[in-house]
Amino acid sequence: MAVTAKFFAGFREATEKKQASIEGVNDVTSLLDELVSRFGKKLAERLYSSDTRELRKTVNILVNGRRLDFLQGLNTPLKDGALVAIFPPVAGG
Amino acid sequence: MIINGFGKTGQRKLKAAHVVVAGIGGLGSPASSYLATAGVGHLTIIDSQRAKLSNLNRQMLHWGPDVGRLKVESATEKLTTMNSNIKVDAIFEQITSENVNRLTKGVDVVVDGMDNYHTRYLLNEACVRNRVPFIHGAVEGLVGQLMTILPGGGPCLKCAIPKEPPKKPLFPVLGATPGVIGCLQAMEAIKLITGVGKPLVGRMLIFNGMDMTFDEIKVNQDPSCQVCGRQGR
Repeated sequence: MAVTAKFFAGFREATEKKQASIEGVNDVTSLLDELVSRFGKKLAERLYSSDTRELRKTVNILVNGRRLDFLQGLNTPLKDGALVAIFPPVAGG
Repeated sequence: MIINGFGKTGQRKLKAAHVVVAGIGGLGSPASSYLATAGVGHLTIIDSQRAKLSNLNRQMLHWGPDVGRLKVESATEKLTTMNSNIKVDAIFEQITSENVNRLTKGVDVVVDGMDNYHTRYLLNEACVRNRVPFIHGAVEGLVGQLMTILPGGGPCLKCAIPKEPPKKPLFPVLGATPGVIGCLQAMEAIKLITGVGKPLVGRMLIFNGMDMTFDEIKVNQDPSCQVCGRQGR
């Protein structure tokens, strides 16, 4: 079973990849853990707050085009072929 | 306009159209300029600020001598000079939950030129409620994002970005970044008005000037969305 994580903007800079195919993960939390172990500190710093270890508010994740809070948050299960987009929304105008 | 699909009919549609440009800064400047030069007959520009020196790297409707002037006044002058055959209404107001309905109801398209999500969400909600297409854009550094919200026809801004990112005191922006996104917003508005092409609905475009890439993120409408979903209406 494989899911595809797609990286945009700063997350692409942190991973130096457009996307990664990840096997053996069954929910969003385990996918993020695997991504951090694969891409290291630069990605971890972009994903998690250094003091609380919570996902930063600058991280937006869509699973197959749907918001996590419409699903089951970080416990959202990932099926084979799932597409997970990770991007930091920008705000300026 | 001799581009295939536009012609005299397309030009007449543009002439008859009324577009609101909410915010006349980095995004609103290029967006309104290309709407004016395309011949959109009626533009309403809304902004509550005065031009500052630090705006001039990107807000190209405001020039050195305009520092201190109302942005809507400075922009109206330039837009009506670009095209004297259009009507420009300048509204010097902050967009709030009290006036957003009045400012957007009954127009053909609203273009997002804001610099904060609080107001973007107000516009998103009002546009969905009044069934007015809303063209979202935002920028920071060399990164920009774009999505067209077609009420009843796809997801809204809340479906893509549910929570306001933390506020920052400053947004460093390379001037060309809102130039790119603002032009694309104008293009989306022109396409919607003329009925030409396929709008950016259900897709968020991410532009990254660092590696000069354009990517799309698929966005689905959710029945649970408080704004555009079945439970929200």
